[in-house]
Amino acid sequence: MTAARRIARDPALLLTALGLWVLLGLFVLFPLTRLLQRAFVEDGRFTLGNVLATLGDSNHRRAFVNSLLLAALVGLCGTALGLLFAYTAARGGLGRRWLAALDAVALLPLISPPFTTAITMIFSFGPRGLISYHLLGLKGFTAYGLHTTLFAETLTYFPLAYLTLRPVLAGIDPSVEDMAFSLGGSRWRVFRTVTLPLAVPGFANAFLLLFAASLADFATPLILAGNSFPVLPTQAYLQITGLLDFKGGAVLSFVLLVPAAAVYLLQRYWVGRRSYVTVTGKAGPASQIRSVAPWARAALIAGCALVALVIAYLYSLLVYASAVVAFGANHAWTWRHYHVIFTEGLKAIEDTLIIAGAGMPLGGLYGVLVGYLVARTAVPGRQAMEMVSMINYALPGTIVGIAYLIAFNDPPIELTGTALIIIACYVFRYSPTGIRATVALLQQIDPSIEEASRSLGARSGTTFRRVTLPLIMPAFFAGLGVVFIRSMTAISATIFLVSINWTLITVRILENMTELSLGPAAAFSVLVVAIVFAMILAVSAALRRFRAPGTVAVTSVLGG
Amino acid sequence: MQPVGIRLQGVSKRFEHRVKGEVYAVREVSLDVRPGELLTLLGPSGCGKTTTLRMVAGFQQPDAGRILIGGQDVTDLMANQRNIGFVFQNYALFPHLSVHENVAYGLRVQKQPEADIARAVGEVLALVGLEGYGGQMPNQLSGGEQQRVALARAIVIRPRVLLFDEPLSNLDARLRVQMRGEIQRLQKALGITAVYVTHDQEEAMAISDRIAVMNQGVIVQDGTAETLYRSPGSEFVAQFIGRTNLLAARVVGVSPSRVDLEVQGRPLWTPHAPPDLKAGQAVRLVVRPETIELRPVFTGDGLQGTVTSRVFLGEKVEYQVQVGLDVIQVTDYNPNDTGAPQPGETVTLGVPPDAVRVLREGPE
Repeated sequence: MTAARRIARDPALLLTALGLWVLLGLFVLFPLTRLLQRAFVEDGRFTLGNVLATLGDSNHRRAFVNSLLLAALVGLCGTALGLLFAYTAARGGLGRRWLAALDAVALLPLISPPFTTAITMIFSFGPRGLISYHLLGLKGFTAYGLHTTLFAETLTYFPLAYLTLRPVLAGIDPSVEDMAFSLGGSRWRVFRTVTLPLAVPGFANAFLLLFAASLADFATPLILAGNSFPVLPTQAYLQITGLLDFKGGAVLSFVLLVPAAAVYLLQRYWVGRRSYVTVTGKAGPASQIRSVAPWARAALIAGCALVALVIAYLYSLLVYASAVVAFGANHAWTWRHYHVIFTEGLKAIEDTLIIAGAGMPLGGLYGVLVGYLVARTAVPGRQAMEMVSMINYALPGTIVGIAYLIAFNDPPIELTGTALIIIACYVFRYSPTGIRATVALLQQIDPSIEEASRSLGARSGTTFRRVTLPLIMPAFFAGLGVVFIRSMTAISATIFLVSINWTLITVRILENMTELSLGPAAAFSVLVVAIVFAMILAVSAALRRFRAPGTVAVTSVLGG
Repeated sequence: MQPVGIRLQGVSKRFEHRVKGEVYAVREVSLDVRPGELLTLLGPSGCGKTTTLRMVAGFQQPDAGRILIGGQDVTDLMANQRNIGFVFQNYALFPHLSVHENVAYGLRVQKQPEADIARAVGEVLALVGLEGYGGQMPNQLSGGEQQRVALARAIVIRPRVLLFDEPLSNLDARLRVQMRGEIQRLQKALGITAVYVTHDQEEAMAISDRIAVMNQGVIVQDGTAETLYRSPGSEFVAQFIGRTNLLAARVVGVSPSRVDLEVQGRPLWTPHAPPDLKAGQAVRLVVRPETIELRPVFTGDGLQGTVTSRVFLGEKVEYQVQVGLDVIQVTDYNPNDTGAPQPGETVTLGVPPDAVRVLREGPE
């Protein structure tokens, strides 16, 4: 029985797979091809001239070096901060409620619009900043450059390291540490010689995730890096919006693509699969010996509390700034900024909600379909489909945005200026979370349940609709939630795709920042955080409601 | 509905093994399941019995051969077009549907009227002893109850054949005995042809009209439990079904009604012999432990040996007796209170001629 014959008897499956390939080809492979074409093809011939010219430009070379430097520093600092939180959570002996608080603090930056931290950094350290000017009385302190960008990105992305390291540390059997104690090791020695080495793959993983996140980050450096510290994503953006130089943008994108792709492949296929933790079988009973000295435990908790305080301070500042006349100058209470965003800014809010609302079900469905095809069927090329579906997710948003701009600006497929291009960008960029959740969930559902349905006379379409789909509903909602949340908060790709017809809140925030109307920017940010929170609550409720009894829970709405 | 037969003609299934390359899971299996019969595929894990069953169901496609149900070639039909009832080892209940909806599923797929569905589900739940369970969710049920739901779900669509894949292996021992009785009762009452897969020989013997023993992808012997036990055709069947002694022997003389043999230098004879035996040929003898008579003194005939172990198990006593280089197992049911041989004592083993079966494969 050949695969072809099997599929011929099941046309619904084949049609679905074909449809998905057409979409993947159109919205993933085609734009990327057009981008590379723009960078490497000149008069129908392949050339390295464009790339060499770009690397010859000292400004661009500096941007490249700066990008890598910033990414490496964010990787180091963020991993350290993530380790602090993860170690405190895994070994600090905290109660359930404190752990929940730790999680909440760590998740807040992940779900905020990308420049929330950047904006509050300006509020704190800008020319009339709360800390630099009012508190310390500094004049001429510059809020722009590597130091503030690094600080803001570390705070924004360290939760990734926390989420990576916590299960790794929690997975190290405490009895291994007990064993080291029983051999006479001191606490510090055990930590250094046993715990840390066991967590090394986790560190590498966390570092690479942060490196990639920082490399791709567009909004933070755009606001904080300033002219003295150019990085690749902002450089590519300015090349296109400032100079209308599409070719230069394409080439800079490619220069950014190389380290990004390298890091992604390294993380996914090398480090991601290395783990000492899974080796052990049944975990022993909880350690009787406290692996952390009382003073060290106090220090750990104090460290976490400090970070939590900084984050709480930044967010309070945001709310405060949105509700006063002019932060730093006139601190009288006012609703003016909210009035502004709900009148002048109303179109952006409506557009964003329409786009997020339209992308949500499409992204959820797309994630579930691809996940199902990959995990459960014998459709030829399903591994390739999984890899291709991850491309837009793995690439920095700037690259995806520029690729879409180049690909869909001219016929045959002219989408520039439409809502569709923005929706497609979000769906294909942020649905991989849903795909992975679907695959993970399906791996826990015994295939015999679907076989039972077939033996009772149901065709594959009926089986999918009546059995599989209800069981993977949680993945559908998780995927849909992530698409919505990212549609509300993302900017790096879509800033190239907005138009007079369709704009986004995040783009308006950026415009407000550059016009120095900080009040409306803060008000917009508060609104986005509030909407995202409401969405997370709704998705969590849906997950509880649709979780079939006896099946596994999908907890991480933000797993990537 | 008239019961239908199942016919397998030269069915093979290959798969790619990581180390061994291409290997056969099932190799040219031909089999006839008679209408209304319950046939068990019995064998150790990895023998191909489940693969064979799944090919009958349509979950896997044979690489060669044909499968016929009721005379209709179903080889190229999908599982959902074969009208079969399948009972899974792990029950495979739909976790998001109630008991009633689980059972109704197949009828809803057939788009039957709601009133008919409600009636049929009620009837079949009563049949498996689950009246009033319709509103429960699968995870609220015990293992035995889940198995009954799985059974009800399979039979409510009035399938042409019922297929069971080790349905009782997740239940505890007592429930297993009870459920196998119920499965047999239901199968006979409904008159549905059934194929049952298990690795448990006692279960197979209790439930089956006929047993096909599988090993390494082929059916090595099929017959009633009694035939397989009394006249195993190979060492594998002799050892897989029940406990047995395999004794090295030499053919001394062959006549139409009996074969004379020599074991450890002692004479033995049997009326049961395969054809074409020649004097001087090396053979193996199958002698069940419970057929051997243990006598405390040497009586001149039979085999002589020394008791090396005696295990008292209540209704029986198990002995191991060293005879030359062989260790022979002897089971004594209804043991006497006194005079039982003890370890170290010399005994005589009486082997009734009727209890001896000759296997032609010589000793390795």
